Amino acid sequence: METTVTKKTERLIGKPIRRREDPRLITGTATYVEDIELPGMHYAAVVRSPHPAADIKGIDTGAAEQHPGVVAVYTGKDIDHLGAVPCGISLPDLRIPHHHLLAQDRVYYVGHPVAVVVANDRYIAADAVDLVEVEYEPTDSVSEPEEALEAGAPAVHAEWPDNVAFTHHQEGGDIEKAFAEADVIVKERIVSQRLAPSAMEPRGTVASWNSGDESLTVYSSTQIPHILRTLMAGVLGLPEHKLRVIAPEVGGGFGSKCELYPEEALTAFIAMKIGKPVKWVLTRRDEFLATIHGRGHIDYYELAAKKDGTMLGLKVKIIQDVGSFHMLLTPAMPTLSVLMLPGLYRFKNVHADVVGVFTHRMATDLYRGAGRPEATHGIERMVEVLAAELGMDPVELRTKNFVPPSDFPYDTPMGVSYDSGNYAAILEKAVQTVGYSQLREEQQEARRQGRLMGIGIATYGEICAFGPSPALPTGGWESATVKIEPSGQVTVMTGVSPHGQGSQTTFSQIAADELGVDIDDIVVTHGDTSTVQHGVGTFGSRNTAVGGTALVLAIRELKEKIETYGAMLLESDDVSYAAGVCTCNKTGKTVTLGEIAMTSWTGPTYPANTQPGLVATNYWEPPNFAFPFGAHIVVSEVDRDTGEVAIQRYLAVDDCGKVINPLLVDGQVHGGVAQGLGQALYEQVVYDDTGQLVTGEYMDYALPKAAMVPTIETDRTETPSPVNPLGVKGVGEAGTIAASPAVVNSVVDALSHLGVRHIDMPLTPEKIWKLVQQGGSA
Amino acid sequence: MKISGSRLLDLDQEQCYRALQDPSVLERCMPGCRSLVRVGEDTYAMKMKMALASISGLFDGKVRIADRNFPHSFRLLVEGSGRIGFLKGDGLLQLTPENGGTSVGYEGEVRVGGTISAVGQRLMDTTSKMMIKRFFDKLAESLTPPQQ
Amino acid sequence: MIPQEFNYSRPGTVQEAVDLLADGEAKVLAGGMSLIPLMKLRLSAPEHVVDLGRIPDLSRITENGGSLHLGALLTHHQVATSALVQEKCPLIAETASHIGDAQVRNMGTLGGSAAHADPAADYPAALCALEAKVRLVRRDSERVVGIGDFFVDALTTAVEPEEIITELILPVEEAGTGVSYQKLRQPASGFAIVGVAARVRKDGGRVAMARVGVTGLAASAYRATGVEALLEGSEGSQADVAAAAAAVDEGIEAISDLHASSDYRRHVARVYTARAIQAAL
Repeated sequence: METTVTKKTERLIGKPIRRREDPRLITGTATYVEDIELPGMHYAAVVRSPHPAADIKGIDTGAAEQHPGVVAVYTGKDIDHLGAVPCGISLPDLRIPHHHLLAQDRVYYVGHPVAVVVANDRYIAADAVDLVEVEYEPTDSVSEPEEALEAGAPAVHAEWPDNVAFTHHQEGGDIEKAFAEADVIVKERIVSQRLAPSAMEPRGTVASWNSGDESLTVYSSTQIPHILRTLMAGVLGLPEHKLRVIAPEVGGGFGSKCELYPEEALTAFIAMKIGKPVKWVLTRRDEFLATIHGRGHIDYYELAAKKDGTMLGLKVKIIQDVGSFHMLLTPAMPTLSVLMLPGLYRFKNVHADVVGVFTHRMATDLYRGAGRPEATHGIERMVEVLAAELGMDPVELRTKNFVPPSDFPYDTPMGVSYDSGNYAAILEKAVQTVGYSQLREEQQEARRQGRLMGIGIATYGEICAFGPSPALPTGGWESATVKIEPSGQVTVMTGVSPHGQGSQTTFSQIAADELGVDIDDIVVTHGDTSTVQHGVGTFGSRNTAVGGTALVLAIRELKEKIETYGAMLLESDDVSYAAGVCTCNKTGKTVTLGEIAMTSWTGPTYPANTQPGLVATNYWEPPNFAFPFGAHIVVSEVDRDTGEVAIQRYLAVDDCGKVINPLLVDGQVHGGVAQGLGQALYEQVVYDDTGQLVTGEYMDYALPKAAMVPTIETDRTETPSPVNPLGVKGVGEAGTIAASPAVVNSVVDALSHLGVRHIDMPLTPEKIWKLVQQGGSA
Repeated sequence: MKISGSRLLDLDQEQCYRALQDPSVLERCMPGCRSLVRVGEDTYAMKMKMALASISGLFDGKVRIADRNFPHSFRLLVEGSGRIGFLKGDGLLQLTPENGGTSVGYEGEVRVGGTISAVGQRLMDTTSKMMIKRFFDKLAESLTPPQQ
Repeated sequence: MIPQEFNYSRPGTVQEAVDLLADGEAKVLAGGMSLIPLMKLRLSAPEHVVDLGRIPDLSRITENGGSLHLGALLTHHQVATSALVQEKCPLIAETASHIGDAQVRNMGTLGGSAAHADPAADYPAALCALEAKVRLVRRDSERVVGIGDFFVDALTTAVEPEEIITELILPVEEAGTGVSYQKLRQPASGFAIVGVAARVRKDGGRVAMARVGVTGLAASAYRATGVEALLEGSEGSQADVAAAAAAVDEGIEAISDLHASSDYRRHVARVYTARAIQAAL
């Protein structure tokens, strides 16, 4: 593995610097929520509903309360004065059921929290959970969203018998005209199944109440410490300035920790009630039940085109499985899909109808890609269906329809503006690298031999680097504070809250280059609302583009101050700062950053009209999103006797704008591809027809293991984003977005001569075998 | 989950019908049944310990007999809940004379919830078949007069 | 993921272990790959756990007059990588190498897998094809049970609560015998959707001996004697193998679950039976 020895004069941006987070992570010295021990710690455990829908007839907490070591048991009536689990999205006809921290008189999904037990020992707490007697009267439930929409289906919420949670409509261009002018219209029902985000560290919270100053400290495994503080203060009715939230080491989130969960607020509530610190950590079993799921789409696509392959317009109906309650951003998920419906193609007519549906299931919300994978999967499948219909090569069809490089910034019919790109070039690069025309010849030969070989292409564009503030209920800016310590070392406090992305490394590289100091002289901290100025958090591939830019701008402001101090020390009015040294441009005399920093803090004299100290804070709001893009190509072979899929090659060519650290970009692509491939081939959250979650453990929920992920070849083009001064776009979600259509396209391609046009994920061997059987022995 | 099947018992139809509704017979033959106490017309409270190798759990439940049509058919409703989950079964039993004995056909649905369904789906089918088999094996054994 | 309270004993010898088990109330812990997850989920709540993990006598590999004796506590990794096992009984070594993942292979044990009798476990297919014998020891006596009487039903074996498995006795493979284990993996658990173990020996152009063990298809692993009968005496041509393999699910009630329907399992069992036999031939 390549490592880079850093010198002050060497630029680090673009270098494969090893992750500065890893020593603590791989030596077990990182501090996760579970590692936090406070004197007098108590433990909370949650009693959950085994029923998807039931009235609660009574709860007997007596036996649990009398169990030695148990200090309290709380049920719905104890918390009904507290605020609801928040939904931060507004849509004109959005229906938001009141989402109590604990069930009141009804449960709405398997796993719904009904009571919480607190004990002085976590084993006792777990035992006492079993002692809480809840009398349920089960009622009919509805699990499938399309069934929930049917007349007469059980109402999830009695006040809305149609089970419609929201609708959303967006259109651009003239869809009727486009379809009237079309030579061909292809249609498909495409499902993006529910997935479990599966962060390596389960959710967990520790809360500690100081009754002396009436302040609360909350450690939580979260991606959004500052937002969590605002939300939690609201739910608890606690003044926000009395609440400190700390995101300690967080072991992944993939969007699932971008929430205020009931248990987080309950843990805080209990700590305030009993006056002792309380820890609650979710088990993996409960993680499946009670952490948000991703995706959950049933989409109906119609794509209109001319005979020559010119795509004219797209009609889509999206059915979003909401679950029984909204979480923080749930209703926004399908609206993000809508923004990306046209993909990289230049047709101007799009018509999208979304309906969010209540079901007796855990809520869906953001999971790596969050709305964009569904849209990309849809358009990239439809392009293949159209190519098959027209008998056109899918590369040629795509290239014919791409937005040309001359059209950027490109205004899409969905009202967003693609910042920069060269789509034909990246597909061409992928096609050349993989040896596409030769693969097509091999495929012909394989078919002659009776083998089922497939070549799958997916191109994608994604909307990321969230984002301008109108797009986010949280504000779309990010912040950085840069402080030069008296000895000259640098402390960066960022408002983002990385949890596996490696942003301490990339931000160190950025700061090292901007300030011209050694990377070892930089520390990047984050995640504590008491020490970090303020922040939005980490999601939507925004850290580097938005948080990194705030950092650059803070340093640039600071450099002016450094030069002011340098000028005073050098007794010159013509100085310049570079590479850790301020130089008098007339005499060549220098002072170091360390000397300047010490003077700035300790004096004895300061420049006129200049405050002591070297600290600068910047809050930066991007003028637009950034739009990375790429082309992935997958070669697969299907075992015609069993339907098993073997991925033989996986090529990912991505353009995430300017690359800060290629090692981390590759890592993000690898991890993202593994998750997208997991969706394509293996993963699915399954509720049975009685509303029971039957994939409740990794025994049945098939997360891809390392041995199941093929070697991933990576390559790049680099098209800088004009949106931010770093020119970066984002890469956190790209792999996930591209992989599922690339894999599915490959397998469908392997079966296309048997008349197969579409297969829903996951591509289980049985599903494929049945299709091969139906296709005969062609 | 739907279950169905049939089992030939070496008893005449009327004996068979009575045996299948005799609480003492059910108590003896239902796998894991610890006690069956009459609590009302055709209704019994049941305590059972489900045990399958290392897996075990105590269930409190109810057994109800309905839609009697002597000696042809009746419905058996079983429900139970415990720490590891709940189960609910509703089955129609039909008795027809066959080869001097009686064929007991059963057709119904079993619903299982909680931990057992969340982590045990792959064993559910096998286990329910096994439980039914054990029930009929026990029944056949207990109804056959000991051979001298 | 927190088990209920239980008593824990760690005997140092087989005798100490069976003394602890004599009341029939304790549960035996070997590698813990099945029992510990069940206990953490509270699906299993034994009051007393007897951990065999530190009994040195149970990890031996010995050859004795045409038989290979494998201690019950040998890990899958040890069985897979032992040069002696690979040479004398390659089928069990090959099967061990397909179990679960590296972590499971380093913890899970031969005896534990046999005793748990998961309908989808890999070992039972090979044990059936090998016509293995299982030595069961209790306080005052011991017995040897043939594999045909050992696997009773799903998760149910001939092992009584007072007994432990001390060793599995496998035949030393005759020269000229080919073996193979082929499985379709369940992607989540690594268990077999269907797994087929085959041993075949040809003599004078004809199949002189064929043994086929199947896991995953039925409630418990079994020997596909119909396949064996069709194959033995045939030339072992591709057509012979296909015809024989088609009998693998005869009289079998096939399992169905989330990952594979019973029809698909039957089909895959035929395909994999043919493949295992072909590979062994």
